[in-house]
Amino acid sequence: MLMRDFGMDTITLAGALDAKLAAMRDAGFTQVMLKANDLVGHPGGVEAAVRVVRASGLRVTGFQVLRDFEGLSGHLHDYKIDIAKAMIQMAHAVGAPVLLVCSSTSQHASSELDDIVRDLRKLALLAVPLGIKVAYEGLSWGRTINEFTTAWQAVERADMPNLGLGVDSFHIFAAKTPLAALEQVDASRVFLVQLADFMWQDIRSVEERITTARHMRVFPGEGVHSAEVAALVQRLDAMGYRGDYSFEVFNDDYQQMPLPLVAQRARRSAEWLGADVLRRATPLPGELARRPRA
Amino acid sequence: MTSDREALADAANPLGLEGIEYIEYRSAQPQALGHVLELMGFVPVARHRSREVLLYRQGGMNIVVNAHGAADGEPPVLAAVALRVRDAALSHRRVLDLGGWDVPVTVAPMELHIPAIHGVGASRIYFVDRWREFAIYDVDFVPIPGVERQPAALEGLHWFGIVQYIGMGRSADWVEFYRSLFGFTVMGDERETGVLPQGTVLQSPDRSLHLQLVEPEPDAEDGVEQLRRVAFGAPDVPKAAAALRARGVDFVESSRLHVEWRGAVTQSWLGGVMFELIHHDTP
Repeated sequence: MLMRDFGMDTITLAGALDAKLAAMRDAGFTQVMLKANDLVGHPGGVEAAVRVVRASGLRVTGFQVLRDFEGLSGHLHDYKIDIAKAMIQMAHAVGAPVLLVCSSTSQHASSELDDIVRDLRKLALLAVPLGIKVAYEGLSWGRTINEFTTAWQAVERADMPNLGLGVDSFHIFAAKTPLAALEQVDASRVFLVQLADFMWQDIRSVEERITTARHMRVFPGEGVHSAEVAALVQRLDAMGYRGDYSFEVFNDDYQQMPLPLVAQRARRSAEWLGADVLRRATPLPGELARRPRA
Repeated sequence: MTSDREALADAANPLGLEGIEYIEYRSAQPQALGHVLELMGFVPVARHRSREVLLYRQGGMNIVVNAHGAADGEPPVLAAVALRVRDAALSHRRVLDLGGWDVPVTVAPMELHIPAIHGVGASRIYFVDRWREFAIYDVDFVPIPGVERQPAALEGLHWFGIVQYIGMGRSADWVEFYRSLFGFTVMGDERETGVLPQGTVLQSPDRSLHLQLVEPEPDAEDGVEQLRRVAFGAPDVPKAAAALRARGVDFVESSRLHVEWRGAVTQSWLGGVMFELIHHDTP
């Protein structure tokens, strides 16, 4: 596992898109996780932003984020379908292979698994002609789906080849979902892994969880859950996951620091994960035969 | 076929699919493409009332050549396939509900609105239900004077299917697209192979239409997704090939490919237009 397996999210950095991309590239990253606002908020519009991304030479990890999509009905459903289609088209335009979808928090949404599954199937079918995969993530404050375990149940039941799981370490640790539950998950259907750490041991309320998630995440290795991040990455690697890891670090302080400084912190995190964590995961020779090949 | 009075009664064929009504090419060289189609046995039978669109026909097959929207120098492309369904509006609605992309309506006054969704690449999939009692062409097209409007098919040629190029690793995605939206199923060993058997072959629920999904070679960089060519069924491929040769059609003859009873592949015209013959009895 090398630097090329890890990427930064644009959400971590302040400033203009081209400055963010340059800082990531200069720090040695080869991929970037984009958010829709990178494109629509660009002064030159979406097409200009797409040109900036392509010119950067960075590979696009994925595109985020479609929220509160599933389980709606009537005009709310139709409205969200329009939003979803626009997201799929932008992901396609910028060359993102994966669209990230967070489980719904909406009180207007149905809690029936059948309804959730039906809408996820529809989203995946919409994404097929444009060649986009959909990664469904269990937001830890999601109304019905709020852990990767239940997100996986929905993905499995929807049974669409381009619908898989988005794994976010923050939500696993915040919800205290046991990592052993990953054994239920088919590694080939994990389409994206987002990593972050945070500074406190325990989160007492949902409000505190949301505040922490949106403002006070840090890079893996910088917080107090480093051992858990390492365990998660090792477990994903051992179960055969060979996809990308992106750093989903929302942090208000990083939003007011020079971009190269933040990118260097991300680099240290990637080096720690690549060199220390996963080297430690290298099996003894006798175990090699039982281990999925890289 | 079935004569259900209730719409959408058949679970295996939810749209009441009954094959292809027409296939549409878009071409900046409509006359040159028309000449190729005539070599293949098609006859120009009607002209669109308001646009530069020509209808070619042989036997039960209709091909529309559309000169609009084609970029200069662009080779002709397979732009659309129109499917015969039991109820076009209901089919369209159902497919949109499941996750199809609607194509906005752009018809002139008094012209037929044929509902459609986006297919692979820039192509479209139309839904047509007026094909038993009268034809959609009766509304939008004017017959070409002095031409037989129902020309017979050459050596029993009929629609067999379409070859679709897809990106690397995309077979499962496209199989699910055609399965979920239209009820296609993957064919196993019983499939008619032709001479280019690679990829995955899907069959429509009425068994009349075949889609062959072909991924690029492992080391190829060309991941373009598109409808690539039409395949005609022929009860006797060598006989059909001989009849086409007599009209001036060449067939690919190489170490790997040649005319045989299973199938044959024509030469390529106009930068990529080609046709395949596949051994298949007339339905």
